[in-house]
Amino acid sequence: MRNTKKVIAATAAVATLVGLAACGSGSDANANKGNADKAELVFWGWDSGNSMKDIIAKFEKANPGITVKFNNTGTAEKTSTALSNAIAAGNGAPDVVMLEDPTVTQFAVTDGLVDLSEFGADKLADDFAAGPWNKLQYNSKPYALPIDSGPEMFFYNKAVFDKAGVDGESIKTWDDYYEAAKKIRATGSYITNLAGTSGDYQPFTAQIWQAGAQPWKVDGEKITINMTKDEGMQRYIKFVQKLIDEDLVDTKTPNWSDDWNRELNDGTIASLTIGAWMPINLMTGAPDQAGNWRVAQLPQWEEGKEVSAEDGGSALAVVKLSKNQAAAYKFVEYMTHGDGAQTMADTGTFPSLKKILTSDSFTDPTTEANKKTNAYFGGQNVNEVLSEAAQRPTEKFQYLPYNPFAQSAYGDEVSKAYTGEITLEQALQNYGKKLAEQGEQQGYTVTVK
Amino acid sequence: MTQPVGVSPVGVSPEMAGMHTPEARINKHKADWRGWKFMWPFAVVFVFVFIIPIVYAIYISFFKKQMIGGTKFVGLQNYQRLLVDQQFWSSVGRVALFTVVQVPIMLFLAAAMALAIDSMKLHGTKFFRISTFLPYAVPAVVSTLIWGFVYGAKYGLVGSFNDFFGTNVDVLKPSVLLAAIGNINTWEFTGYNMLIFYSSLSTIPHSLYEAASIDGASEWQIVKSIKLPELKGSLAITVIFSIIGSFQLFNEPSILQNMVPGNAITTYYTPNMYAYNLSFSGNQSNYAAALAIVMAVITMAIAYAVQLNSMKEQMK
Repeated sequence: MRNTKKVIAATAAVATLVGLAACGSGSDANANKGNADKAELVFWGWDSGNSMKDIIAKFEKANPGITVKFNNTGTAEKTSTALSNAIAAGNGAPDVVMLEDPTVTQFAVTDGLVDLSEFGADKLADDFAAGPWNKLQYNSKPYALPIDSGPEMFFYNKAVFDKAGVDGESIKTWDDYYEAAKKIRATGSYITNLAGTSGDYQPFTAQIWQAGAQPWKVDGEKITINMTKDEGMQRYIKFVQKLIDEDLVDTKTPNWSDDWNRELNDGTIASLTIGAWMPINLMTGAPDQAGNWRVAQLPQWEEGKEVSAEDGGSALAVVKLSKNQAAAYKFVEYMTHGDGAQTMADTGTFPSLKKILTSDSFTDPTTEANKKTNAYFGGQNVNEVLSEAAQRPTEKFQYLPYNPFAQSAYGDEVSKAYTGEITLEQALQNYGKKLAEQGEQQGYTVTVK
Repeated sequence: MTQPVGVSPVGVSPEMAGMHTPEARINKHKADWRGWKFMWPFAVVFVFVFIIPIVYAIYISFFKKQMIGGTKFVGLQNYQRLLVDQQFWSSVGRVALFTVVQVPIMLFLAAAMALAIDSMKLHGTKFFRISTFLPYAVPAVVSTLIWGFVYGAKYGLVGSFNDFFGTNVDVLKPSVLLAAIGNINTWEFTGYNMLIFYSSLSTIPHSLYEAASIDGASEWQIVKSIKLPELKGSLAITVIFSIIGSFQLFNEPSILQNMVPGNAITTYYTPNMYAYNLSFSGNQSNYAAALAIVMAVITMAIAYAVQLNSMKEQMK
C-alpha cells in the first residue's frame, strides 16, 4: 500500500523536488492568537473512522463563530510532508494538523508548532493515558494533544499455543515467552516474526521503551545516541539475539507484507507484540483464525512489574503560521478532550482519554462493535484487556526529531542482524552511526556512545 | 518509461546533422520570426514543464536545508558529498549491471520476435503480435504485483512448485533478486521493442525480397543482408530508451520491497529510490536534487555516446 503511494509520488522525481525546496521565514508567534470565538479554520488530517464531518458539524454548532474546513490529506506520511512544505514556503499551512505522535517532536524542534501550554493544555496531563501524553512533550511542554493511543499488547493464537502445550495466559515475563517460543517452534510454527525491516521499527521502539532503554536523548540542538551501551538496550539485544540464534522467530517475513497476513491466517505465526489497534487488522487479515486469537498484557522484563509502552498513535497540533491560534486550540481541545473524543471512540478510534477508557460503554460487551470483536477473540472482552494496558504506567521515551529517517534506515541496517550477516549489537551500532550522520546533516551536534 | 531526458539526445541530432550541411548555414541568415507564431504554444509548455523544473532543480542543489539552521547556500558541497557517497555509487553500479545484462537479452528477444513475425511463415501473426505487446499496456505496478505473487517462495507459484516437487527454490533471495527484477522488465518491454523493430522491417519494399529471391538468395541471406541492416536504425532508438528506462528503475523494486523476504531491497537499491528516500524520509531534498542532476548527466552521456556511435555506423 505504502509502496504504491511511493510510486505515484515519485514518478517525476525532479518535478516533485521543486515543491520541496524553497526557503522560508518564521513569523511572530504572539501576534497570531486571533479571536478565539470567530475564525475560519483549515484542518489537515486523515479520517480513518469516517467521522470527521460529524464531529466538525457538532463543533460548529457549539461554536457558532468558528467554521472548520477539513482537508483530507490521506495518510500520516503525506500530511507531514505537506506540512513541512507549507512551513518551508511560509504560507498555505493549515491552522490545525493531525500528526503521527513521533513526528510531533520534529515539528516542535523546528518551531513549526505552537506550545499548547500557552492555552493551558499542560493542566490536562492527568486526563490522558501516560503513554500517548509522554510522547507529545518537548522540553516538558505539550506540543500536541493525543487523539488515540496504542499500548503495546501481546496477541496470541490460542489454537497453536494449545497444540504446543503452552498456556498464553501464563506468559508473564519475557523469559516465559522464550520458553514458550521453544515449544511452539517444535510444532513447526514460529512464536512470531522479526525481520528488522522498516515495518518492524514501531514494535522495536515499543519493546526497547518497555525495556527501559533510552537510546535517543534530544536536548535542544544536542542529540546523544546510545544504541547498544544502555542497560535497557543490552537486555533487549541479548534477548532478541537468543531468539535469532536458536531459530525461534521467523526472520524472513516482514510486518505488513502479504506473506505476513497469510502466515497469521494459517497459524505459522502464533503471536504478535503490537499496538492495541491490531484487532481490526487481525479480523480482516486472518479471517480463518476467527475464534482462535486472544489478547493479553505485554510480557514483563521483571516479574511482578506492570510496565507498558506505546506503538503508534496520532495527535492534533496547532500550526505556528496560523493566524487563529486561539480558535484552533479550541477545536483541538474539543476533538481530543471534549465531546469530539467520544464520537471518535464510538467510531473505532482507540481512545487516550482516561475518562473514556474507564467508561462502562467502552468495555460493554453488548455493543455492536464490541460483540463483533469479542466473537473473533473467542468471547474474550477485548476492550477490558486493552483498557487496562492503556492505563499502565510508561517510562519517558524520546524519539529522534527525524523519526521518518530513523524508520527507513532501521530496515537498511538492522535487517542484517536477522539474515545472520552480523550480530544484532553490530547492526544497532551501525544504525546508530547512520542516525548520527543524519543528525549532523540536519545541523545537530551529535554524540554517539 | 520514456522520459523527456531521452528525447534530448535524439532532439539534438538534427542540429548536429545540420551543422555539417551547407543548407544549415544558408538558413541561418534567413532567420524568420514568423515561425515562432506557430511555435509558441509548444515553447511555453516546454519552458514551464521542462526547462524551469530542471533549472530550479539545479538551483536548489546548491543549497542545504537543515532542521537546525534553516536553508543556506553551500555551493558545490552536495556534489562533493555525492562523489564519495558509497550508497549512491552502489546504486549506480546496480543499475549499470542491470542494464548491461537485461537490455541485450531483451533486445535480442525483441528482434527475434520481430523477424519471426515479419517472416510471413507463421500462422496467427496478429494474435502473436498483440499478445507480446500486451504486457506493455499493463501498468508497471500491476505487473510487478503479479510477478511478486508468482515469485513467492511460500505462497506464490514458486511456492506451489516447491511443494509439488519437494524443491527449495527461492527466486527472491538477494543473490538472484536483480535477475528476477530483470525478468519482470523483460516481460514488460520486449513487446514494445518488438513493435519498433517490426515497424521498421515493414517499411522494406517487397520488391527487394523478390529481387533477392530471383537472385537465388536463401531466407538467411535475406535476413542477413536486407533485414538486419534495416534494424540498425531502430536498434539505436531502442537501446537509448532501454538504457534510460533501466537507469530510472524504481517501480519494480519499490513494490517488491515489501514482498521479498527480509530487507533485500534497501532504500538505496536504485538511484531513483535513493533520491526518493532522501527527500521524503531524509529531509534532504537539496541533496536529492543534486543526485537527480548527476543521474541525468550520466544517463544523457551514455545515451549520447550510443547515439554518436550509431550515427557513425550509419555513415559507413
